Amino acid sequence: MNAWSALAIVVMVGAMTYVMRAGVIVALAGRPIPEPVERVLRNVGPAVLAALAINLAAGGDGGPGLEFAEVAALVVAGGVALWRRNLIWTLLAGMATLWLLSSLT
Amino acid sequence: MSAGPVPRIDRRAIADAIPLFLPAIPFGFVLGLAVTEGEMPVAIGWATSPLIFAGAAQLAVITLAGTASIWAVVMAGFVINTRHVMYSAALAPAFQRQPRWMRWFGSFFLIDQVFALAVLQSDRPPDQFRRYYLTCGLFFYFNWQWATALGMLVGPTVPDSWQLGYAPPIMFVGLVLIGVNRVPQAIAAFVGGVVGLAAAGLQDRLGILVGAVAGVTAGALAEVLSARPRTDATAEATS
Repeated sequence: MNAWSALAIVVMVGAMTYVMRAGVIVALAGRPIPEPVERVLRNVGPAVLAALAINLAAGGDGGPGLEFAEVAALVVAGGVALWRRNLIWTLLAGMATLWLLSSLT
Repeated sequence: MSAGPVPRIDRRAIADAIPLFLPAIPFGFVLGLAVTEGEMPVAIGWATSPLIFAGAAQLAVITLAGTASIWAVVMAGFVINTRHVMYSAALAPAFQRQPRWMRWFGSFFLIDQVFALAVLQSDRPPDQFRRYYLTCGLFFYFNWQWATALGMLVGPTVPDSWQLGYAPPIMFVGLVLIGVNRVPQAIAAFVGGVVGLAAAGLQDRLGILVGAVAGVTAGALAEVLSARPRTDATAEATS
């Protein structure tokens, strides 16, 4: 990827992020966001992060690109995330599962 | 209220921010590693920290760059960051009492952690709120820069056998499940993941967008259903 394309991505995402952070504060002033809009926004994070995690795990090949050790690592990481509610434990548990299973196979 | 000069840095804000920053260090580390392994020139990959300043979106943009079109990458970063609209709305009343420069400048630092801390302080007098908010925001901003830089320095020395390239999806799974605290959100995440998996083979990483739209739709449907007066079916679904 060339430097200009990379820079374009970073600048565009940075600008959009700023607009989303400042938008309501600067423009909408004290008026509240309509309740239905807020309900939808609350679900955006979980939905997109789940789809992103799966997509990154599968790589460009789709479902068949997943290996058993990778799926197991995600499942264990998910369990630990729900249990401990802590990102460090989640990462360690997921990576440990991946190392263990891929050393066995 | 306050007579005489007030200290410019709110020590309590630092004390509150440190426990929230510690978990961000390994995240910054994974991000730094992703920069060294990704397709973006490393300097520009690092520049996501000062310019975008949003860990999950940065990680998505850096790992996706080069594997999909520019627009697909930008769209992924955009969708991930839409949650900031909620933060902006929630803090808008507190910012109404702030000078104009603060509304434009301060909102740049409105990351998840700063929001979580500042929203608890929004009833404080405007000058105190401003000092607390800016102390938190600048604390996270400067520390985030070295955390990602450190990951980039140490990253290349880590052997391939550690498979750290697989850390980003694990981080995202963790972010999803730690963030979910309501039934519709869980449904949104589940549907987003399943549809995302089914669509993972689509070119240009379109599976992310397809999964996200399906998840948001499912979550919205769940909201509508759970908002109705309880019937046997909905009571069962939410118990």
